[in-house]
Amino acid sequence: MEDKIKRIMSNIFNIDVESINGDSSPDSIESWDSFNQMNLIVSLEEEFDIELDDNEILEMVSYPLIKLIINSKLDCK
Amino acid sequence: MKYSEIIKLNSDLKDSLDGSHYNVFIASNIMVHQSKEICEFSLRRESVNASVSIGRYDNIVQDSSKVKNVDAVLIFWEVFNFVDGLHYKIDTLTEVEFQNLIQKVKLEIDLVFSNLKNVPLVLINKFSTLVFNQFNLSDNRISQLAKILNLYLANTAKENTKIVDIDKVISRLSIDLSIDLRYYYSSKTLYSIKFYRQYFEYIKPFFLSTVGKAKKALIFDCDNTLWKGVLGEDGPDGIKVYQEIQYLALSLESQGVIIGLCSKNNLEDVDEVLKHHTDMILRDENIAIKKVNWGNKVDNLRSIANDLNIGLDSLVFFDDSSFEVELVARELPDVKVFQVPPKEYEYGQLFREVFNLFYSPVRTKEDKSKSKMYKDQSKRLEEKESSKNIEDYLISLGIVIEVYEDNLSHAPRIAQLTQKTNQFNLTTKRYTESDIKAFIQGCDKIVLSIEVFDKFGPSGLTGVAILCKKTCEIDSLLLSCRVLGRNIEYKFMEIIISIAKKNELKVLRGNYVKTYKNSQVENFYDKCGFNIKDRTDKNSIYSIDVDEFNRDSIDYIKVNHGR
Repeated sequence: MEDKIKRIMSNIFNIDVESINGDSSPDSIESWDSFNQMNLIVSLEEEFDIELDDNEILEMVSYPLIKLIINSKLDCK
Repeated sequence: MKYSEIIKLNSDLKDSLDGSHYNVFIASNIMVHQSKEICEFSLRRESVNASVSIGRYDNIVQDSSKVKNVDAVLIFWEVFNFVDGLHYKIDTLTEVEFQNLIQKVKLEIDLVFSNLKNVPLVLINKFSTLVFNQFNLSDNRISQLAKILNLYLANTAKENTKIVDIDKVISRLSIDLSIDLRYYYSSKTLYSIKFYRQYFEYIKPFFLSTVGKAKKALIFDCDNTLWKGVLGEDGPDGIKVYQEIQYLALSLESQGVIIGLCSKNNLEDVDEVLKHHTDMILRDENIAIKKVNWGNKVDNLRSIANDLNIGLDSLVFFDDSSFEVELVARELPDVKVFQVPPKEYEYGQLFREVFNLFYSPVRTKEDKSKSKMYKDQSKRLEEKESSKNIEDYLISLGIVIEVYEDNLSHAPRIAQLTQKTNQFNLTTKRYTESDIKAFIQGCDKIVLSIEVFDKFGPSGLTGVAILCKKTCEIDSLLLSCRVLGRNIEYKFMEIIISIAKKNELKVLRGNYVKTYKNSQVENFYDKCGFNIKDRTDKNSIYSIDVDEFNRDSIDYIKVNHGR
């Protein structure tokens, strides 16, 4: 799962997979804007076959938070 | 392909394409941000260096007055969002308010069309009511509104403007998959990624036609592509013409699309069908170029493009064989290749889909005579042989031959092959099942049968050789045309030689008996290094000292010995 998330982030933000870590957030990744935030959400939903609700979307503002939310979504399935 | 992969590939393609940008501007009264990547990707994949910019939300009229230096404008104008929440408010409008709304949008349409009159291409979606109106039993105001405005669009659209029937895309995909209401309510984003993919595939021909990237030539294989059956095996009376496909191809031809043939067949046989087969719709005069021979299709398609003096990226090729389709797709990635679907009833639909690749906004008189022009040109040009190495491809197939020696359970199929095979058949001796059984059980004959496998799966029992120990002769040697063009015949000869050695034969004789249909194997023994002993019109006799057989071994074809 972590690999998939990293690959998606790498594709969307146009950054190296290796550079993604616990500090990765809109503050540290220049291309993480609102447009790419939307692309990120759509891609995560597609990859994991989940539906994220508004609150979850708003909370997804760092790599650790993304992992946490996707994990809890997958546990519910 | 996943959306994030599209984003990645799109960004990679951006760096690899050069040349001037093709600028697309998308104006809308909903949020359409995801359309950017997908629109760019669908065009960049066709080597159009597209760059898409998106207008401001619900600013269609204002944006249309400001666009500069764009090659195309695309407009998403949703009825439901003319006014925020119109789909639930519309029935509460007074008649006057309703009429005012119609007038207001008509005026906006006028302004937009007028502002964009110098843009080379304007695409606007037909007003659609499917999403919020899908449960309505009868006409309501939303559908009236859409009807009135669609009529208005059709009547006022300028020449540069194409009206896109977005409902076709939504219908193909289904309403539920086309939209995501979560995002519509949270951010006015209506359409899904899936929708955009289908949508841009659907409208792509509009863009491509304006940059000269529409396809120009439609090239067919013959057997199981223009007709059902194998001409060389079944004869002209045994084939069934695919009339639907041929009618469609004929209509393309009348619009200026070049029709050509690229087929492994005897030219005379195909010409005979084109001229005299009563069911044929395509005739000789409709075919601008023919490469009907036993050479490989990659070379033949290259020379078609060359003779017609068009790019390989102008060609569309249809073939039934996964071998040929994969070979062409691999060696000539610019050619659009389609495989005839295994289910006959799907063929027409596929063909109608492909139709759009030839889309051209206007057809001229020259277009209509183009076919003849190309035909003349191709007559003038001499065929050039090129020897592009297809070995890499054959290696990638992972071909395996399974050899069986005197396998009694194969007798029915072996007999059938001797009776049916005409083209790759050196002596064309016909045997019954009991003949074959007698050979297998007797001790003078060795009956070899081979099964061929590759990464596409098994081709079944497709080759037979019968050796005669007493006379040291290859009595029969044949291969089904299903497996030709893969050097299997040469590997089969290696196998035959090694079996001859195993049986302590010193010399092996081969015989080519000419028939009406087996000219393609006329020189097969020469190519295998056999020495000619005697030759008459009908018959050539060869022999080889088995120890002297030294044709380079084909090591990318594996051989297993079956039981």
